[in-house]
Amino acid sequence: MKLPIFFKNQMTEFSLTIIFMIGFLALVVTSNGVFLSRASLQGFLTYLAVPIVIGMAQMVVLCIGQMSLAVGAMGGVTCAIMAVLMADHNFPVWLALLIGIISATVMGAINGALVVLTQLNGFIITLGTMTILLGFQYRLVKTFTIDKYPSSLPDFGNRNFVGFPYILIIAILTSVLLSMFFSRTIMGRRVLATGGNSLAARLSGVSNNRSVFIAHTLSGLLIGVASVITIASLPGINRSIGGDWMLASFAAPIIGGVLMAGGTVAVYGTVIAAGVVRLVDIARAQYSLDPSIVSLSVGVVTLSTVALSEWRRRRTAHQNEGIKGSK
Amino acid sequence: MSSELLIQKVSKAFPGVQALNEVNLTLTGGTVHALLGENGAGKSTLIKIITGVYVADSGTLKVNGEEKTFHNPIESTHAGIAVVHQERNLIPDFSVEENITLHNPPLRFGIINRAERTRLAKQALQTLGFEIDLTERVKNLSVAQMQLVEIAKALVTNAKIILLDEPTASITGSETSKLFEVIKRLKDQGTAILFVSHKLEEVYEICDTVTVLRDGVSVLESKPLADYKQGEIVDLMVGRHLAERKVAIRKVDRKAKPVIELKNVSTALGHKNVSLSLYPGEVLGMYGLVGAGRSELARSILGLHEVTNGQILINGDEIKIKSFRDALHKYRIGYVTENRKEEGLFLDFPVRKNISVTILSKILQKLSVINFKKEDDVATKYVDRLGIKVVDNSQLALTLSGGNQQKVSVSKWLAAETKILIIDEPTVGVDVRTKASFHELIAQLADEGLSIILISSDLAEMIAVADRILVMRRYELVGDLDNSKDYQSMSRSIMNTIHSN
Repeated sequence: MKLPIFFKNQMTEFSLTIIFMIGFLALVVTSNGVFLSRASLQGFLTYLAVPIVIGMAQMVVLCIGQMSLAVGAMGGVTCAIMAVLMADHNFPVWLALLIGIISATVMGAINGALVVLTQLNGFIITLGTMTILLGFQYRLVKTFTIDKYPSSLPDFGNRNFVGFPYILIIAILTSVLLSMFFSRTIMGRRVLATGGNSLAARLSGVSNNRSVFIAHTLSGLLIGVASVITIASLPGINRSIGGDWMLASFAAPIIGGVLMAGGTVAVYGTVIAAGVVRLVDIARAQYSLDPSIVSLSVGVVTLSTVALSEWRRRRTAHQNEGIKGSK
Repeated sequence: MSSELLIQKVSKAFPGVQALNEVNLTLTGGTVHALLGENGAGKSTLIKIITGVYVADSGTLKVNGEEKTFHNPIESTHAGIAVVHQERNLIPDFSVEENITLHNPPLRFGIINRAERTRLAKQALQTLGFEIDLTERVKNLSVAQMQLVEIAKALVTNAKIILLDEPTASITGSETSKLFEVIKRLKDQGTAILFVSHKLEEVYEICDTVTVLRDGVSVLESKPLADYKQGEIVDLMVGRHLAERKVAIRKVDRKAKPVIELKNVSTALGHKNVSLSLYPGEVLGMYGLVGAGRSELARSILGLHEVTNGQILINGDEIKIKSFRDALHKYRIGYVTENRKEEGLFLDFPVRKNISVTILSKILQKLSVINFKKEDDVATKYVDRLGIKVVDNSQLALTLSGGNQQKVSVSKWLAAETKILIIDEPTVGVDVRTKASFHELIAQLADEGLSIILISSDLAEMIAVADRILVMRRYELVGDLDNSKDYQSMSRSIMNTIHSN
């Protein structure tokens, strides 16, 4: 099949786009157009921002062939820090958010540094830091809901530009920058090289330790952005924030075509996959389906897309074997 | 008792390619049969059909007169066919006996019968005349020992037909002769052996009959090998006359200042007092048996292992290389690795990105952003210059043939404008034609002023390409020979150097 130029070599992203469009249209039609109303469209788009950004936070770690279990805990602590600073210490909003973003980045950097220093896999390190951070989060928020901060923040979360919530625009801009980072900067290329083949990368003058550190730090920065979006779009912060991020952060990039083995990124794929997952969520609300249906469908979608792309990869490899034999 | 494998008019097509076209082969018990052909001639496809990985589109396959169609490797094993692949297929953390009996562990009451397992493994190893601790983990064995375990694994299934795919690609000369003894013993016991190799010298040493494939056609079918000269076989393989080339002796100015010089270098890996000089435009060969410490020396110079003593001089100045990045960016030394797939390439990356990885900082535009056009131009330049066969620069490295992958691997160093290139075993598993073009490439690069250290275990290659040959033995340099490029006399003096005391 010949794909449109934008999707060259990106079968997964192409299929996801089609699935997204069909799903979207199906919702519009079956809801008799209610889905297109300002309020429901707004709801759809607003709560799409966080899955996109945490998906990317996971993606940058996946692309060096590691996993981060700490995305949720890091986000939870970051939101807690920002909320506490504003509510209990009367920090101005901008400063609290800035400190939050910096803290998240530092947490990522610590993960990266620990991976480099111990040479253990990121999975193990983040399992440890996740638990530590959860402790921090509980200590910061205790059992309260913190919401005594300037209303300018939730207001910003509600505002939109010709129907597109500002926070979604932030998420999209972040993904565009990230995409540029990987395709057009030296640092991005080197990180991918490490993920693709760390031995070859080392023998090409790439510092793998630096790549690992950068990937984890960048993941932290993205979690900082996701936390800002979260605090702007929710009425208050409590200890459950971030609790449901970890699995969601894996679903979007993996459905979007990122290889677990590392070496690839699929920014657009991650964004559109987050959209598909979000559609399932909306469908549940629309048809008052059992929440288990959502888990079920997301699970099935994840497994089947991964199985499908693996099958396609093997088929391509098989064909290439034939082509190689032709010389 | 002798067995027989008969392949008649077997064809197999892949999308767009006729991989095998009516191939015939007769393999009889008590003989060693060479299966020869360039990369891509169809050898692997044929082996995969015999072992049930692929099913042939047409044609017949008979084992001991009985027609068979194998749908999977298990069916083929049950028919008494075993294959020893080029790549290791052992489980590193399992013991020798566990690996040997992996296919079919002996059971008693549904659990593994350890005594029986030991007996079977011992028996198989005895047949091979090979002694080893059966409880040793396979990961602690040498490559040659692993190879023998693989063969034992084939024997324990009572295979009467054994396919050996490039069995000597990664083992040393003395290990090879041990392997050949084993092959001879198996042959005397009536086993039919199919031997696939790129090393014609070995084929002549061990094989009785020969089949040559070219572009999926059997151009020579099960003929006695003794009836053909080596040159004739090569002609059949490449399909055009590629007689032993006469290589000119290149002029190298040894009065010039060496581009790199080692003085009494010792390393953490155990090299002792290594001294050598590489002159501008010289191809300096480094020969030795596998395990002599040649790649290890290269890697130590490049900063991957510690240099504990002695001096390294670049253009006369003493330097210290701390890391590979230093070697590349400060001193312009490149390293084409031995394992192109594991260490040389990013298989999932397009050719373009593989070539540009060493020069990213040079193809930037405003805001430190990579300029795709410059990147593509650089890639195109080297694809053209080295004659790399690609559809376009965005083709994934994974989909290229071995020779082309190797060229991509060289390209990134050329793009980085290195002054010194260390090339490690460039033509392992590469066919005759590509090999020759690679040798020409090395000479051409040296003519253009690049100084090259060539590490190779292929003596013919060494003598054809190097200007001067250093001989390494057990982490020490034991010889420095000017290369007359005459195979007979050179090979003799190199061998004498290696085996002298």
